[in-house]
Amino acid sequence: MGLLNFTQEPVPEAVSGDMHNLNQLSAQQFSALTEVLFRFLMEPKEVERFLTQLSDFATMNKISLGPLKNIVKSILLVPNGALKRNLSSEQVRADFIALGLSEEKASYFAEQWKVNSPTLTRLAVGQTLMINQLIDMEWKFGVTAGSSELEKVGSIFLQLKLVIKKGSQMENVYIELTLPQFYSFLHEMERVKTSLESFS
Amino acid sequence: MAALRQGDFAALQSLLKAPSKDAVRQLCRQCFSSPPAGLGPLAQRACLDLTAGPEEAEQLVSALHSLTRHVVYHGLTRAEDILSLFPENFHQNLKNLLTKIILENISAWRNEAQASQISLPRLVDMDWRVDIKTSSDSISRMAVPTCLLQLKIQEDVALCGNSPVVSALTVELSKETLDTMLEGLGRIRDQLSAVANK
Repeated sequence: MGLLNFTQEPVPEAVSGDMHNLNQLSAQQFSALTEVLFRFLMEPKEVERFLTQLSDFATMNKISLGPLKNIVKSILLVPNGALKRNLSSEQVRADFIALGLSEEKASYFAEQWKVNSPTLTRLAVGQTLMINQLIDMEWKFGVTAGSSELEKVGSIFLQLKLVIKKGSQMENVYIELTLPQFYSFLHEMERVKTSLESFS
Repeated sequence: MAALRQGDFAALQSLLKAPSKDAVRQLCRQCFSSPPAGLGPLAQRACLDLTAGPEEAEQLVSALHSLTRHVVYHGLTRAEDILSLFPENFHQNLKNLLTKIILENISAWRNEAQASQISLPRLVDMDWRVDIKTSSDSISRMAVPTCLLQLKIQEDVALCGNSPVVSALTVELSKETLDTMLEGLGRIRDQLSAVANK
């Protein structure tokens, strides 16, 4: 096997056997299977649904589920590697052909890849590590009417609740700002926005 | 906040033994700023300065604390209002001196009371930086800008007393999160202007 684009490591032995089995599927069957695969790639959390759809496919096309799962595992190696390495659809096609898939099926898959890769890329970027990600912000502001030390106060306060994701848990942080602090905070955040926009 | 009692004014007459007007001034300031629990040590010092017995000093210090806090609580700003607090037979010059000292300090004391009132943890400082993420384990090449925001938060002043606890919290925001946050902050600003213009 020549140099592959989607990985630098040697491919498991079973893969060429799986590609050979794939070639036995009709164009229609391959297209249906590809659809199931891409739906899973778009929503990787829907594992249950993916397994159900695979099992339906197996039943409808009279294929045993075990071998089908192995085939699917082999196929998925390519899009996963392609995503990491920002591969083009030509490169994906070339890799499938190098692995033993027919030209027709490889081209079809590469086409589907071209259509779906912007969404998949955005998904992958979204999964990138974030430290203490700000998830939500709630606020309220009001007037302090009085206190135990001052009968009449009449000052404005602003309270923010920040919901922060620390690792896998959510943490709530409560802070209070005075009015001048709020305006300076708003001003700084607008500067951040300008900065972020100039880099987009 | 302690309420003014009749006995307080009698105790205040001990100030007549003070060495100077500045000494009275300083004692007034210290009595206002001290929490009720801190009046003990102040009384001990007053003992020495005024050559007064311990009981007398304690009563004086407590009376000054109550008087100054009472004035600040009720927001009395006019000389007449403060003068009218004193009983008829109170020493005239001392009454005028105390009123003058109180008027001098009232706005600083008001600010002090406001600064030390209970509140949620307060924002004391914020810093930010913008990073560009170029690579990660899920994608080897990208150019995604992100913002790191560091908020310095001080715990409730009333709990910490003289050694405030300041913690730093660093938060990461994506561009989308920042846009949503700015939308929220803009709404706050609009509502604040609406309230201000009423």
